[in-house]
Amino acid sequence: MNRKRALISDTFKVKKRRYGTQKFGAVSDGDGPTDIRATLEYLMTLFPRRLFNDTLPQIVLKHQLYSIHNDKTLVDKELNKLRERGELLMFQLGFDADTFGLVFASDYKAKVLAGEEGRATRATVEKFLQKLPSPCTDLSFTKDKMLREFLFTDSEITQLVKSGVLTVRDAGSWWLSIPNSGKFTKYFIQGRKAVLGMVKKSKYSEVLKAELEERRTTSHVKFHMKYHIHDIVGAELVESIPTTSGILLRFVEP
Amino acid sequence: MLGFLTARQAGLDDPLRLRRAESTRRVLSLKLNPDRDVDRIHGNGINTIDIEAIEGRYMLSGGADGVIVVYDLENYSGKLQYTFLLHPLETVQWYPYDTGMFVSSSFDKTMKVWDTETLKPAEVFQFEGNVYSHHLSPIARKHSLIAVGTKEPKIQLCDLKSGSRIHVLQGHRAEVLSVRWSPRYEHILATASADSKVKVWDVRRASGSLFTLDQHNGDKSKASSEAVNTAHDGRVNGLCFTGDGLYLLTTGTDDRMRLWNSATGENTLVNYGKVCNESRKRLQFTVSRGCSPEFVFVPCGSSVAVYGLHTGELVTMLRGHYNNVDCCEFHPDYQELYSGGKDCNILAWVPVIRASDVEEETKSANQVQVLITGNKIWKSLIRKNCGIN
Repeated sequence: MNRKRALISDTFKVKKRRYGTQKFGAVSDGDGPTDIRATLEYLMTLFPRRLFNDTLPQIVLKHQLYSIHNDKTLVDKELNKLRERGELLMFQLGFDADTFGLVFASDYKAKVLAGEEGRATRATVEKFLQKLPSPCTDLSFTKDKMLREFLFTDSEITQLVKSGVLTVRDAGSWWLSIPNSGKFTKYFIQGRKAVLGMVKKSKYSEVLKAELEERRTTSHVKFHMKYHIHDIVGAELVESIPTTSGILLRFVEP
Repeated sequence: MLGFLTARQAGLDDPLRLRRAESTRRVLSLKLNPDRDVDRIHGNGINTIDIEAIEGRYMLSGGADGVIVVYDLENYSGKLQYTFLLHPLETVQWYPYDTGMFVSSSFDKTMKVWDTETLKPAEVFQFEGNVYSHHLSPIARKHSLIAVGTKEPKIQLCDLKSGSRIHVLQGHRAEVLSVRWSPRYEHILATASADSKVKVWDVRRASGSLFTLDQHNGDKSKASSEAVNTAHDGRVNGLCFTGDGLYLLTTGTDDRMRLWNSATGENTLVNYGKVCNESRKRLQFTVSRGCSPEFVFVPCGSSVAVYGLHTGELVTMLRGHYNNVDCCEFHPDYQELYSGGKDCNILAWVPVIRASDVEEETKSANQVQVLITGNKIWKSLIRKNCGIN
């Protein structure tokens, strides 16, 4: 798509303020920490809780934020600030080295403890959650750390893996994970494939975003369409092109 | 614009400020040169381009057909051309101090030093594997070493004065795809290899590298344990220092480009998004010089992507090639970009500040001439002003 107006650097921009211009296909500019948090909360509402019978905390993927905010570096910085404040936890979901899932810390703790009700491993899990450093920026733990800093024994570590809070990474280290998230990963990948297939099969491999949201989804797509759209746009699997009829999504050949 | 000129005239602004603002404006308006084309001489893809640093007048291009062509950028014609071998050239570089000499390396496992007058090789260096990349330090006064990256994991340093290979740098585990000297310190060398690592060396040191770039900045929990201490998750095939040598850019086959602080080796975590990279060999990309927010020009498929250096945002895509783009080079004096690719073309991208309107096209071609000479006069004005102060 060719731009009709040439790009001008900020120093040369005219300072006239225009009133009432409607920007088509506009994306909101994120400035300030509250905007990222608000976007996170909006994306969390798209997560289907009843699908998992409320056992899973609401998970948002990091690249979904890139589809809403233009400046990726800024998004990364703000997310790191939230993580350092202890409000947000980041997880390696396992299906891609670059994909990270985000969960609010309070949500995570509540759901994990609720899931552990009446199980033998409950005490260990509670102890682990308490021991977790409040601004937890680690995604994985090594055996050294578990034994020395957290003072866990081997059998307790086995219990944690059994309960799903830790997942094996390789010999002697574990990823922090969300219990019962296997179902989430399965449905998510299925749904992503189905939505991408829908875009690819369209004429010229492109479809208007509004039209895609209206389409009837197959039984493979279990999440809200918007959740998947944010995902494929943010992961750059489709190109998002602003047109006069709205945003157009065009499939990108890998 | 007039504000800048008046401030400069009155002495309110530093002369550098006007120069940078105008350079940035010109880079943002890069378009395919509408008037003249670079002559098409290569019969096969173009692998490498180099513009000499002294006058910025002559450009070398090396092709996959083994032909080296010297272009005169003032006239855009290929003046001298020399077919010398059957193997594709990988890198060509002018001798940094004058255009009497240039060095070329190719897949026939040799590196040749050529005399530009007689067009005969003055020196030939033999290697055991394909030569992927070589680089001469642009600022070196105390040494005249050429760093060579080959299929072997060892980096060879060849001396131009004595004509022998004097030094070997060990540390990589797979083929070395790109080598680059720092434009700030004449003894600092960065090398990129297919084992996903980028190492920075001081050639005066007897022991190994200074440091290895780590994409997670030492945060061992982020990656799987094989990916510890790697710059990318795939082969690292492009290296470029910024003009002042303070930052280093690397591109890898994991479709990512990263910006590193070249003094500490820290990943600045600027997120450029997906930078498509499928090259099996070295990727030649470049950074602008003299602009206020610097720009990175990266070949991305069949177009050249322009990113803001520190913000990571995609400014624009320059489309014009018919096939994959392999190399690009920025001309800092005229803010022009030259890119070469598999479609055997070298395209010149020039700043088109004021496009001619429909009514003006009926007027004679003199108008267009005035625009072009107008730009050149402007350039020489800026040079004169900045030279005096």
